[in-house]
Formats: sequence, C-alpha cells, structure tokens
Amino acid sequence: MSRFFAVKTTANQERVVANLMDMAARKHNLKVYSILAPKELKGYIIVEAETPDDLLKAIRGLPHVKGVVKGEISFSEIEHFLTPKKAAEQIREGDKVEIVSGPFKGEMAIVKRVDEAKNEITVELLEAVVPIPVTVKADHVRVIDKKEEV
Amino acid sequence: MAELACKNCRFINVDTNICRNCGSTDLTKEWYGYVVIVDPEKSEIAKRLEIKIPGKYALRVG
Repeated sequence: MSRFFAVKTTANQERVVANLMDMAARKHNLKVYSILAPKELKGYIIVEAETPDDLLKAIRGLPHVKGVVKGEISFSEIEHFLTPKKAAEQIREGDKVEIVSGPFKGEMAIVKRVDEAKNEITVELLEAVVPIPVTVKADHVRVIDKKEEV
Repeated sequence: MAELACKNCRFINVDTNICRNCGSTDLTKEWYGYVVIVDPEKSEIAKRLEIKIPGKYALRVG
C-alpha cells in the first residue's frame, strides 16, 4: 500500500528534485513509486512511497530539498491535481491579472474576454495610454483580483 | 534541450519529434504539471492516470 508525502523544495526546482529522486530511487532500489510536481504547488513535490524510510533515503543528500512536511497526505487531497482544469476555466471577465510570461511580462491587465476552447484570454493592459486588446494564453497570467460577484 | 509532451499519451520527450512512448508526431511545448512514474504497477497515481510505462509525463497538455 503506497502512502503520500510532501517534500519542500527550492521554488522552481521541483522538476529537478523529482528527476534526482527518480534516479536515487532506481539506483538504491527504493520503494518510491511516483513523484508529482503540479504547476499549482510551488516549492513542494508530492512523493508516493511505501514507507517514510524509503522517502528519506531517496532525498538524502539531494540539492534543493529543504525538508519533509510532517504527516501523510491522503489520496483524495491530491486527486484534483491529476485532472487539472484548463487555466481559462478559472478566469472570469473583469478579473485583474498579471501577465507572467511573454513580451508583456510584468504588466497588469483587466480581462475582457475568455475563450475556454482555445484556453486564451483577451486583456487590456492597465498602464497603456490607449486601450489595446491583447490576446494571451490563459496559462501565462496570474489572477490578482477576482471581480466581485453582484 | 527541448522538452515536448505528446498530445496523445502525455509522455515527455527530449530532443525528438516522435513520441518515444506511442510513436505519435503530435508533440507540443505547451504542457503543465510534471509527474515521474517509477513503478506503474504499484503507483496509485499511475493507475488513476492510466499510465503503464515508467517515465516522465505532463499532467496537462495544450
């Protein structure tokens, strides 16, 4: 029976740690079954292992590992990471967003239109003198403020 | 080093235009979430994602 544990890592190094753990688990024949690094969970990875001992052996000496979170995680708590929603489904018209990649990185914008099928949103940059609609991938923005429901 | 995910099986391929898992040529660089399957037979996550071959996979593609 496998159990789930959370490991704290340096931010943005989740995949590096997952790859190193994979190598360590194979090398030492440890009972580590899978390593999960969801996009939504920054600075943590979820490890599926037989015992906490297997987990500790797999992370021993690895760079970017900051510690193990006490206790176990139940499968129901991580289930929603396995069937991620499209990013556009979580954004509504009127939301304030920050663009996190592409040529407009760092700009704040207001969402004008959401295209769930294409996973794209059309926004207007807040600091632009003339409002120009810009279409960006929904994954390239971070929601700052949700529009208040009336 | 380009890491491309297969739209068909979500397997992550490095520096190739053909999926090493299923042979599909429909690869994309737009993928999110990362999971390494070490032992698909014993892993609950692999069962839920219907993964039978060990390797690196994306959680969402496109």
